[in-house]
Amino acid sequence: MKQWFISQSVDHPKRSILVTIIITLLMGSGLMHFVVEDDFLKMLPQDIESMVALNELKDEFGSTDLMFLGFGKSGVDVLNTENLAMLWDLSHALEDVDQVDEVMCISTSDKMESIDGFLEVSALQEYRDLDEEEIATLRSYLADNSKIRTRNLGENGDYFNVIIRPIVGVKGDVLVSDMEKVVAKHLTDYDVHWGGQAYLTGTLPVLIRNDVVGLMRIGLIGMLLILLFSLRNVPAVGSILATIILSMAFMMGFNGWMIYLTKSDKFMFGVLNTSMPIILLTIANSYGVHVITKFFRKMRTNKDPRAAVEASLNSLVLPIFLTALTTVAAFLCMVFAPLEPLIGYGFSISAGILWAWILSTVFLPSILVLKKWNPDSAAVSHPSHFERFVIAFGEQVIKRPKTVLIGGAVVVIIGIAGFLKLNIEVNMKAFFKPGNPIRESLEFMDNEMTGTMDLQLLINADLRSPEVLNQMTRIQDFMEEYEAVTLSISIADVIKQMHRMVNDDDPAFETIPDTREKVNNLFTMYSMSGDPDNFSSLVDYDYEKGLATSMMRSISTSEIVVLVEEIEAFLQQDDYKDLNITITGLLIVFRDLVALIIRSSFISIFASIIIIALIAAYFFKHWLWGVLAVVPLSSAVILNFGLMGIFGVDLNHVTALLSAIIIGVGVDFAIHYISQFRNHLHTHGLDGKLSRETMRDVGFPVILDAASNMAFGALLFSMFIPMIHMGGLMVFAMVSTSTATLTLLAILLEMNKKRLARIEGIAVPE
Amino acid sequence: MKTTTQHIVTAILLMLPMMLFAETGYELAKAMEDKTAPSDMKSNMTMTLTNKQGKTRESTIRSITADDNRKQIIWFLAPADDKGVAFLKIEHEQKDDEMRLWLPAFKKVRRISSKKKADSFMGSDLSYEDMTSRELEEYTYEILGEKVVDGIDCHILESTPKAGVTRTYKRFVTYVSKADLVSILDEAYDTRDKLLKRRVMKYRKDKGYDLPTEIFVENVQKGSNTRLVFSSQEVDTGVKEDLFQEKNLKRMPK
Repeated sequence: MKQWFISQSVDHPKRSILVTIIITLLMGSGLMHFVVEDDFLKMLPQDIESMVALNELKDEFGSTDLMFLGFGKSGVDVLNTENLAMLWDLSHALEDVDQVDEVMCISTSDKMESIDGFLEVSALQEYRDLDEEEIATLRSYLADNSKIRTRNLGENGDYFNVIIRPIVGVKGDVLVSDMEKVVAKHLTDYDVHWGGQAYLTGTLPVLIRNDVVGLMRIGLIGMLLILLFSLRNVPAVGSILATIILSMAFMMGFNGWMIYLTKSDKFMFGVLNTSMPIILLTIANSYGVHVITKFFRKMRTNKDPRAAVEASLNSLVLPIFLTALTTVAAFLCMVFAPLEPLIGYGFSISAGILWAWILSTVFLPSILVLKKWNPDSAAVSHPSHFERFVIAFGEQVIKRPKTVLIGGAVVVIIGIAGFLKLNIEVNMKAFFKPGNPIRESLEFMDNEMTGTMDLQLLINADLRSPEVLNQMTRIQDFMEEYEAVTLSISIADVIKQMHRMVNDDDPAFETIPDTREKVNNLFTMYSMSGDPDNFSSLVDYDYEKGLATSMMRSISTSEIVVLVEEIEAFLQQDDYKDLNITITGLLIVFRDLVALIIRSSFISIFASIIIIALIAAYFFKHWLWGVLAVVPLSSAVILNFGLMGIFGVDLNHVTALLSAIIIGVGVDFAIHYISQFRNHLHTHGLDGKLSRETMRDVGFPVILDAASNMAFGALLFSMFIPMIHMGGLMVFAMVSTSTATLTLLAILLEMNKKRLARIEGIAVPE
Repeated sequence: MKTTTQHIVTAILLMLPMMLFAETGYELAKAMEDKTAPSDMKSNMTMTLTNKQGKTRESTIRSITADDNRKQIIWFLAPADDKGVAFLKIEHEQKDDEMRLWLPAFKKVRRISSKKKADSFMGSDLSYEDMTSRELEEYTYEILGEKVVDGIDCHILESTPKAGVTRTYKRFVTYVSKADLVSILDEAYDTRDKLLKRRVMKYRKDKGYDLPTEIFVENVQKGSNTRLVFSSQEVDTGVKEDLFQEKNLKRMPK
């Protein structure tokens, strides 16, 4: 196989370039079918218990993923003619948006009053333009009905709260975009704040992608500059760039074709795929860097490009194939991921990696063969300062085996100690940097309004029974004792209000009636006067399922776990055992999802390490090579999580997932090192220069590869904490795996060289 | 000159049908309004509400109406949970409608008021506006064409509220039986001119009146529907004015 690859580049370079470009174009044409999917909810696994419960809930009660909009002017009473007219216009414009099921605010709510013996259900704001007297009446009504006030006004009365319930199944990004257009048109002179799960899930994917695309461009430029500085040759850098671009086109096209052929949502490009182009870019860069640096090294001795390419490929075809294979194996472990888009991610990036391998062993060498190189140029004739530095560093490492081993052991021990301190925590608000407008908006909604989250208790019981309604009230009281819960709403609240109204607005009757017949009469009375749809988000058609919704301030997943445990403990009391209550909502789905992703990421990491070890053992024909191949990677993983524990970086689904993904990038260095070590072992035997020569051969490309990929540390400047983590992890993975390869692995190979030589069937002098 | 005259004549001839239709639309509506209606009607109604998930609720009520439905008193016969609840409605020209409800569990009559004509009647897909007849002079009319609906030859009549008349609907398209001048199918469009409700009606002849036997209303946007089936209908029984009083709510009809 190796000779076939060499022959394609050396003997048929033009044909090879043409064929690879045609194949790339054919595959790349799949971009016609490429679909960007920014609906976060679509990415969630539909079969986990909490998601099934949530979907059942939505079928019955409509969407529970609410969107909150607060507007007003800080410190200025919001209840005046002008502001109410604006609220009226805005709420009606929002109701006209196709994705909106319901808008809940002062302008759209009903009030129930007992006036001169009349029970009157009428609009809370009857007209667009209210006069002073009507505003005073409204103010008085809100003062008498604290829950309605809390739901509709900010704590200080200077902001309106508008709650928007989307239609089930609408695309979150489209909803947010349409909402923002309406708001931008109306609210030009107000402070506007957004919140709610629907807002976050609809906003984040687009913002993250735009942010990453911008930073990726900076990263790519940085990468090319580092390559240019180190290689000192524009055509060489250009050919690496061409390899990268063709690999990317192939991968994206493959993604499009898979959507076309499978019609599966798995291949839609969403927020989870954001890292995919960056990862492939670094991998294709890595392959290109190894080929180019090896070529320049060979040119120094051969002076003939054809011979240099042949010699380079002779020693690189196997390691590049192996790195591609191990990386693909690591990514294919994502097939078992709980999120469907990650399955598509695994397949698509694998296709891209395999094509990057073909390009770097056929396309790139063909360019090198065709290009007329000046053997006396600086790039070809002598190593750069950077290369000389790396060689000198390698010399020092090999001279100090004990120091390196002790250092490595200390690092691993520190890592394990830190690992035990690792904290699992996800707070959506903390995904944004302090000072970020979205974070500030969420904090405002938390501090001044009813919060940005909601939790639902689904109660399966006879909701015409006074006993059940009283139990519901007690559960709501329990919920409202939590600091994070700002308001709890259920059908019991409406019944209590109707009971009071039917008894001439006497506050003493703001209770659940004592008989079932009375409850029935109240429901019938409301149906005669109010819109029966007012109840549709509170109770089902048969009055057998009721929903108690708690509006909440942002809390983290660990707080959710504690809250849910305490609610469950409360509901275990004898009083509530017969109610058959399910705690549900998007918060619960996120809680389960985070745990699921973290668990599956760890499984993926360990599975990847084992598979990589097995592949290396198979191709290098001994288990010891397999074990050695994963030493740098394993120590980097331990150190990664250890440092996170030590420095208090919370482990969340994003960091866990990225760690699993970045493993695919970090595994290559060890394969290259072992491969060259074996080559030298076979070529020169156990002479004193074995490790030194390997280090000279592999050290520079490994460091250059790592350094150029570290340009994606540009992600550290993202406005999103998870993206900052990704940038940090990228830098860390590059530094840790390259350093571990050139120190720990190098020393282990040097110390065990006699044993390894025997394994390879090479005579070892006694 | 001759050519110009010919053009004018041709234009008038072309416009004539439109002018005639405009006249006919109003006349058709007036003819429907002028049809003789019973002075009062007693009936039992079974009302079946079906929500978008296909779940149903059924109620049986005894209804007595007079004065072209402007006065109505109803008693709930079933389900058991609602039995005994009674409702009295009197429409007024110049002031809000009067509605009173007898709540047997509380032993109280409550006067209820709904200023919103679009509010649902008894939780159904019919609003109070749907229950009242359209004032002839508040609309403009146009005949859009003809169509056979369920084997009945119909005019298609469009009714649009005149400027300044506030209504929940932007317009109605009614399929009017040519033979009986009754609405067979009525489509109501919301303020965005999207179809909101479709109402299908069936009739029987009695004493020269076209009495409704079934009304099926479908809210196209919500996906819910309401079916009203009439039985035990009696007309012109001489219902007295004083029946429509609060005290009669407490007495179940025999």
